[in-house]
Amino acid sequence: MAMRDTAIVAYAETKIVTKSDKDVWALGADILEELLNKTGMEKGEIDGLILSSSQTGAGNCFWAQATSDQLALEVNFCNTVDIGGCSPTGALARAAIAIDAGLCETVFCLFADTQGRENNSRPRHYQQEWTAPLGLLGPPTSFGFITNRYEHQFGLDYRMLGKLAVAQRNGAVLNDLACEKLRTPITIDDYINSRMIADPIRLLDSVMVCDGASGLLITSKKNAEKKGFKKAVFPIGYGEKTSYQFSENIVDVTNTGHMPAGERALKQAGLTAKDIKSFHPYDDFIIAMMLQFEMIGFCKKGQGCDYIREHDFNFNGDLPLNTGGGQISAGQVGLAGGGTNLVEAVRQLMGEGGKRQVKDTSNAMVTGIGGIPYARNWNTSVVMVLTPNG
Amino acid sequence: MATINDTLHIERQAPAYRTFSLPYWNGTKEKKLLVQYDKQVGMYQWFPRATSRFTGRASHLEWREVKGEGEVYSFTIVRRARPPFQGHEPFFLAVVTLPEGVQIMGDTVGISLEEMKIGLKVKPYWHPLPDGFHMLMWQKA
Repeated sequence: MAMRDTAIVAYAETKIVTKSDKDVWALGADILEELLNKTGMEKGEIDGLILSSSQTGAGNCFWAQATSDQLALEVNFCNTVDIGGCSPTGALARAAIAIDAGLCETVFCLFADTQGRENNSRPRHYQQEWTAPLGLLGPPTSFGFITNRYEHQFGLDYRMLGKLAVAQRNGAVLNDLACEKLRTPITIDDYINSRMIADPIRLLDSVMVCDGASGLLITSKKNAEKKGFKKAVFPIGYGEKTSYQFSENIVDVTNTGHMPAGERALKQAGLTAKDIKSFHPYDDFIIAMMLQFEMIGFCKKGQGCDYIREHDFNFNGDLPLNTGGGQISAGQVGLAGGGTNLVEAVRQLMGEGGKRQVKDTSNAMVTGIGGIPYARNWNTSVVMVLTPNG
Repeated sequence: MATINDTLHIERQAPAYRTFSLPYWNGTKEKKLLVQYDKQVGMYQWFPRATSRFTGRASHLEWREVKGEGEVYSFTIVRRARPPFQGHEPFFLAVVTLPEGVQIMGDTVGISLEEMKIGLKVKPYWHPLPDGFHMLMWQKA
């Protein structure tokens, strides 16, 4: 498969903060410089630029072009990916496609959002007409619906959701780039006792939106070999699904697009969920991760709580999970937040996890969740499998 | 546990309708629940869209009135909201399944914490909006 012929040769990430004191382009410049420093490459070698969505950038319908201008990147391929929280992983997939098609050779993927400092987002969708007038706050309300329905169909042990929250928080404590406000250990009781936002969604189920940036430098495998990079990570399987079952009226809201996306990604990678050595699922809400266990095939549908009970999700456990804290415990960098999960997976596979380094770096899985539709779960699901063994 | 508020006294605006949803909103002036119907496949759809979710053909769509009696598919208690709802929490938001095979979200009126459950039978409550429109809410059937 073509995607294997591209290599991530470096990653970069800023500190995550509640409100950035720097402009979004200054954060982009920091990421660019870190990537150049790590690879020893020159700016002129970059001939592709792919951006994730950004609430700061959302006011500008020339976002990718304007960023290319600001960073003075002369490129042969320039694109913003607008599938919400799936955008960073979606950007990596599109970089691989563009490189494979010969449109460019080296792509800078930048995931930057400073929505706390400057939110220019004014989305045009169903919400103005159908949900905002009901007082719907947004994602927590939708996940309240999903969670209540899940409990009705399968039963739900909230302490198991708490177990995931605790494991991720342990990761954030070991992650110097995580938002400082979130770097205090928590217990399952803290999770259970945290206040309700949209029953049964609790405060500690939810992400805190933050500012920051991350990025990747991706080049052809041939170029990576030519330049003699010692460390590289390769995408070996990718699945993407938008508007899953949207041609149907009544669906089971506990089924998500991660089922077909996961199946495609694992098939391409020649693996099953059991083979995955560390898992970096998109985590806007804790229950989203449990649903992904079920949909991607780590366990059967309806058995997420049992699966959580039987496994250890700390960095030294049997399935390391979002080892840097995920977005829930490191902070959600607006619409660029998926970069946090993605960059952590790449960092681990390069063996640079430091105090939280996972033991088995033969592969990792990263996912995305994007968009909140009307009375459903989410708009876009992506699943990607990465390996350092190209 | 706090009592659940209804949201009747919150100041609401006229609907932010689109060209293709205006027939629904005009129906609410007479407290009629109009739902799009794809006459080729014989299926209803909610919310009003620019085209049929089943066939992708806008020309297949027509509007049909339904009674609006249904049951709660899921619900949540909103405990944090933005203005003008802020300060009026907690209130319910319910997703209701109608026998026509559509699901409609709405605020609730007069349903208590003890009464609310998945499967609860509900019917429309029409709340006046500016310009003669009404908003669909849910009350016990």
